[in-house]
Amino acid sequence: MNNNEQRNQTARPQVLALLLALLFLGGCSEHKNPPLSETKSDNDIGILLLNHGSRSERWRQNLLDLERNVTDRLLAIEGIDGVRTAFMEHATPSIADALESFDREGYRHIVVIPVFLTIGTHMFDDIPTIIGMKDNPESIEHLKLEGIERYTPQAKTHLAPSLDFSDLLKHNTLRRTNALSENPEQEGLVLVGYGSTRFDDQWSELFDEVGSYVCRETGIPDYTTAWCGHIAHYSPDSTTAAINRALETSRRAIVIPLLVSHSEQFQIEIIGGGVSAVENHRERVRYKPDAILPDPKLEEWVIETAGTYARNIEQ
Amino acid sequence: MSRTSKDSLRKINAVLHRDLGYFFAALIIAYSLSGIALNHIDDWNPDFIVTKTTLDFDGSYDRKSVDDELIGTFSRMAGEESFRLYDFPSERQVKVYYKDATLLVDLAEGSGSYEKISRRPLFYQVNVLHRNSIDWWKWASDIFAVMLIIITVTGVIMLRGKKGFSGRGKWLASAGIVPPLAALILQTLQ
Repeated sequence: MNNNEQRNQTARPQVLALLLALLFLGGCSEHKNPPLSETKSDNDIGILLLNHGSRSERWRQNLLDLERNVTDRLLAIEGIDGVRTAFMEHATPSIADALESFDREGYRHIVVIPVFLTIGTHMFDDIPTIIGMKDNPESIEHLKLEGIERYTPQAKTHLAPSLDFSDLLKHNTLRRTNALSENPEQEGLVLVGYGSTRFDDQWSELFDEVGSYVCRETGIPDYTTAWCGHIAHYSPDSTTAAINRALETSRRAIVIPLLVSHSEQFQIEIIGGGVSAVENHRERVRYKPDAILPDPKLEEWVIETAGTYARNIEQ
Repeated sequence: MSRTSKDSLRKINAVLHRDLGYFFAALIIAYSLSGIALNHIDDWNPDFIVTKTTLDFDGSYDRKSVDDELIGTFSRMAGEESFRLYDFPSERQVKVYYKDATLLVDLAEGSGSYEKISRRPLFYQVNVLHRNSIDWWKWASDIFAVMLIIITVTGVIMLRGKKGFSGRGKWLASAGIVPPLAALILQTLQ
């Protein structure tokens, strides 16, 4: 074997390794959409309806329906020129994309209306960090890990409060409870929500407020609460335990999911799974896997909130 | 098929198994480590090290008394020279933000919880890959998954005879199906 042949033999693995690496990277390189053309105009206020997001198409559709149902009424308010929906994770458009679109269209103000139940880590830290109002180090790291983009708009951003600042939840829960209740004196109410580790007090307080109100209005003697989110490790056990607590003193339990929209994971697998684990549940538990949406009162709340902000901005 | 063709196919099979195995060795170990870490996500934080310190601010405060000066005092006690901003999660709490830490003060009790966050070395990086935190990495993961199938299939058919798939291989492969099958049957019966 001459020197050239020897060199060729030793060079082969390196060449192969390089080719494999290039093929591997080439096959998965990012194909970004071309930037949209500039469409700047003189727009004043944009309304961003922001929610958590879910992989469930039904969840997403409920939120898009909300946008569709309120858009005309919002655009009729002086100063409001545009309405968009954005999802924090698991669905598109993202918050960053929606804010960037408002900027491209030359909006001066963006009113962010979070369709969230109450305060939690997302409401208090993550969303303000995404929209550039805060720099919470933990949120920054988690958002990076989850692949959620941050964007600080050129427009002035106004962050509205969450749903618990209105009476909406009480009325919504009462309506849904009445639809399932047959004999209130012999029933127990079970409210199931996402929950929050860090804001447990606030969540418990809100659910107590809603539970007491519904009991007072319907004549149901008592209520219990259960969590189905991260705090409960997404397990149906908390739901089952709460139903069993209610059944200790009542003949039948009415289970109401206090979740903004519907997702198969929460309403069917977790809460539905929790209901199925209760002994004799077909006779003893009444449960409809619905959500806070759709609700015309929530639409009114969005319009009222947007109107208040628009008036303050215009002044 | 002629003997020469069969031999060259076997050679290609062995080369594929060997070279893909070498190429993906690092990624297989990274995904395995991350898999173990993420399996126990309810028991520990596989991505970050959060160092918590409890502080006593001696006295009780109300929301109205909170200003930059008081926040500065709290911050210095937590070892921070300056703060970025502060906000009120509730009437009795104020949260102060720093570059890589936060301080949650219970105003009524005059106590605070100072939390410093840092990335867990090695695990953070392998979890970034496993979670597809880089947008385009999911395509790399797909290619990797297909390659794992190729590595497995080429490994299964590599040997002939008593030590090949038709010999001891079929028994071991069947035994390997038992644990996941048992888990699925148990889950269905529950």
